[in-house]
Amino acid sequence: MKYMLLVYSPENSWTPDEWNSCLQESVALCHELAALGQFHGASPLHPVATAHCVRLRDGQRLVTAGPFAETTEQLGGYYIVDVPNLDDAIAIACRIPAVKKGTVEIRPLFPLDGLPAEKPGPASGDLRQFLLICYDDEEYWTAVGPDVHLAAMREAAEVTRDLDSRGRYLSASPLRPVSTATSVRLRDGRRIVTDGPFAETREILGGYYLILAQHPGEAVDLAARHPGTRVGTVEVRQVYTLTDLPESNP
Amino acid sequence: MSLAERIDEIYRAESRRVLATLIRLLGDFDLAEEALHEAFVAAAEKWPLEGVPANPRAWLVSTGRFKAIDALRRRGRFEEVKAELVNRHVEVTAANAARADDEIADDRLRLIFTCCHPAIDPNVQIALTLREVCGLKTEEIASAFLTSSSTMAQRIVRGKAKIRDAGIPFVIPSAEDMRYRLDSVLMVIYLVFNEGYSASSGKAVTRSDLSGEAIRLGRLVVELLSDPEAIGLLALMLLQESRRASRTTPEGDLVLLEEQDRSRWNQGQIQEGVALVHRALSTRRFGAYSLQAAIAAVHATTSEASATDWGQIVALYDALLSVHPSPVVELNRAVGVAMRDGPAAGLQLIDDIVDRGELADYHLIYAARADLFRRLGNVVEARRAYVLALAKARQEPERRFLRARIAELERAAN
Repeated sequence: MKYMLLVYSPENSWTPDEWNSCLQESVALCHELAALGQFHGASPLHPVATAHCVRLRDGQRLVTAGPFAETTEQLGGYYIVDVPNLDDAIAIACRIPAVKKGTVEIRPLFPLDGLPAEKPGPASGDLRQFLLICYDDEEYWTAVGPDVHLAAMREAAEVTRDLDSRGRYLSASPLRPVSTATSVRLRDGRRIVTDGPFAETREILGGYYLILAQHPGEAVDLAARHPGTRVGTVEVRQVYTLTDLPESNP
Repeated sequence: MSLAERIDEIYRAESRRVLATLIRLLGDFDLAEEALHEAFVAAAEKWPLEGVPANPRAWLVSTGRFKAIDALRRRGRFEEVKAELVNRHVEVTAANAARADDEIADDRLRLIFTCCHPAIDPNVQIALTLREVCGLKTEEIASAFLTSSSTMAQRIVRGKAKIRDAGIPFVIPSAEDMRYRLDSVLMVIYLVFNEGYSASSGKAVTRSDLSGEAIRLGRLVVELLSDPEAIGLLALMLLQESRRASRTTPEGDLVLLEEQDRSRWNQGQIQEGVALVHRALSTRRFGAYSLQAAIAAVHATTSEASATDWGQIVALYDALLSVHPSPVVELNRAVGVAMRDGPAAGLQLIDDIVDRGELADYHLIYAARADLFRRLGNVVEARRAYVLALAKARQEPERRFLRARIAELERAAN
C-alpha cells in the first residue's frame, strides 16, 4: 500500500545546524527505504512564505500569497512510501527527524487508474520542482455523489497525462478520504499515534501533483488546471532538489 | 442435549474465535461476519445428517472460508482478491493440526490489537472491540453507552473502514511496538470496565455486563500474553468488582468504602485479585495498573475500615506517583495521608494541588476537602466545599450523596 507522509513542524524552530543534520538523516532514511524497495519520493519544501494559493471561482482565477492555512506547525516536506501496512508506515514516520518536534500525518494514496508512470528524480536544465497540494471540499464531493467525483478524478488524470506529454510531470495521486488519516508524534521517546489529520480544516488535503516548471508563475498556471480548484484550493510550494536522493523504486 | 442445543453451545463457545480467524483469512470484517453466519447455517443443515465433526471450530472456519469465496465469486470480485486469499490459505495450511488451535487463540489476540489500534479513534476502538471481539450486538453497546444505535453503528462502520482503507494490519505487534500497543488495549479494557462500574445511570444490568465483558477481555489478554500490567489490570478490575454488591444501597445510593459491609465483598474475586497482584509485583516490571491493584488489595484484605494500614497505602501511592504522576493520584495520596496523619495534613496537600490551579473542575477534590473539614469539625468550610462539589458533580447517585451530606451539616449547625 502506498502512503504519503506529510511532515509538519514549526518552521522557525530549526537552527541551521539542526536543519542540516535533519536533511542528512532524511537522505540516509531515503536510501534505506530505497534498498528495501519502499521508496517513492521525498523532498523538503521551501518555506511557507514562498507559497501561493490558487482558486477558481465563477471562472475567475484567484491567486493569493502564503499558505492555505496559517498553522503553528507548517508542512515542511513529504515522503511517499510503499509498505505492506499502516504499522510499517508508522515505523517510518517515527524515524523522520521532524517527528520529534512536529507531526507526521500518514495518508494512504487512492489508487487511480490512468496516471502516467512516475518520472525518476530531478530533471536537469532550468526546470524547478513544485509540489501542488490540493485541498478539497470533501463535503462538496460527497454531496455531488461518486459519479461526479470520479469524473473529476478522470479529468485530473487527463491533466497529468497532458503535463507528462509536455515534460512537466513527475508524479501525482489522490489521497484516500481524511477519515483514513493517522497522525504520529514522538515526544521523550514515546510514540503518540492518533486518529485523524494534523489539522481539522474545512477543506482537506485530498491529493498532490509533483510537477516541473520554469518559475512559480508557470507552476501557478499549471495548478489552475486541477479540477479541484473550482471548489477547493491548490497550494503551490517549490521543492528543494536534493541531488543525493535515491531513485524512486519502480 | 439436542443437536440444536449443541449447535447453540458451540455458537456461544466458538463463534468469536471462528470470526477472528475468518477476519484474518479474508482480511475483511463484513465478509467474515457473513461467512460466520453462513457457516452456522451450513452446520444446522449438515450436522443432523453427518453428525457433529470432531473439530467443529476447524469445520466452521473452513466452511466459512469456502462460503466467502463463493460470495466473492458471485459478486465477481474473486479475481481481484484471489492471489491474496491463496497466499493466506497457504500460510494457514502450512501450520499443522496441533498448532491450529494456538493459531486460532492468537487470532483473537490479533483481533483485539486490530480493534484497539491507536490510529482508530478511542470511542471507535471501544465500540469495535465490544462488537467484534466480545460479540455484543450494536444495540446492546449503544444502550450500555447511552447513545443511539445509529451513532454506535456509525462508529463501527467508521472503524472497519479505517482498518480497511488505512491498511491497519491484523497482526500481533512486534516486541518493539508491544508496549505502546498493549497500553492502548489495556486502556480500552479499563474504559469498558469503568463504564460498567462507575456510571450508575442507565440500565444497571446492561452496565454491569460491561464490567463482566471487560474482565473476560482482561483474562483473555493475560491468558495469551502474560504481561505484568495486563495481570495488574485484571487484578484491579476483580478487586473493584468484588465490592459491587456493597457499594450502593438497594435504592442506588453510594456507600463510601469505610461504611461498606465488608462481609458482602466477593471473597472469590478478592482471592484471585490478590494472587494476581502478587504475580504482577513479583515480575518487578509492573506499572500503574499493578500499583492501583495493590492499593485495592490492601483495602480488600482489611476486615474493618478502622484497621486499614494507611502507611502502606501512602507508600503505594508514592510508588504510583513516581511511575504515573497525575494530580488525581496526588489527591488520592492526600486522602491517605489525612487518614494516617490527621485531616490537617491531608488538607495542606489538597490545598497545594488547588493552589497550582489543577483539578479545578473535578468534583471529588471539593468532596475530599469537605470531608476533611467535616472531620475537623469546621462545619462552615465543609458545607462550602460540599456545595462546590455538588456544582461540579454530574452523576445522580453522587449528587444525592452530596446533598445528603449538606443536609446533615445543616442539621448539625441548627
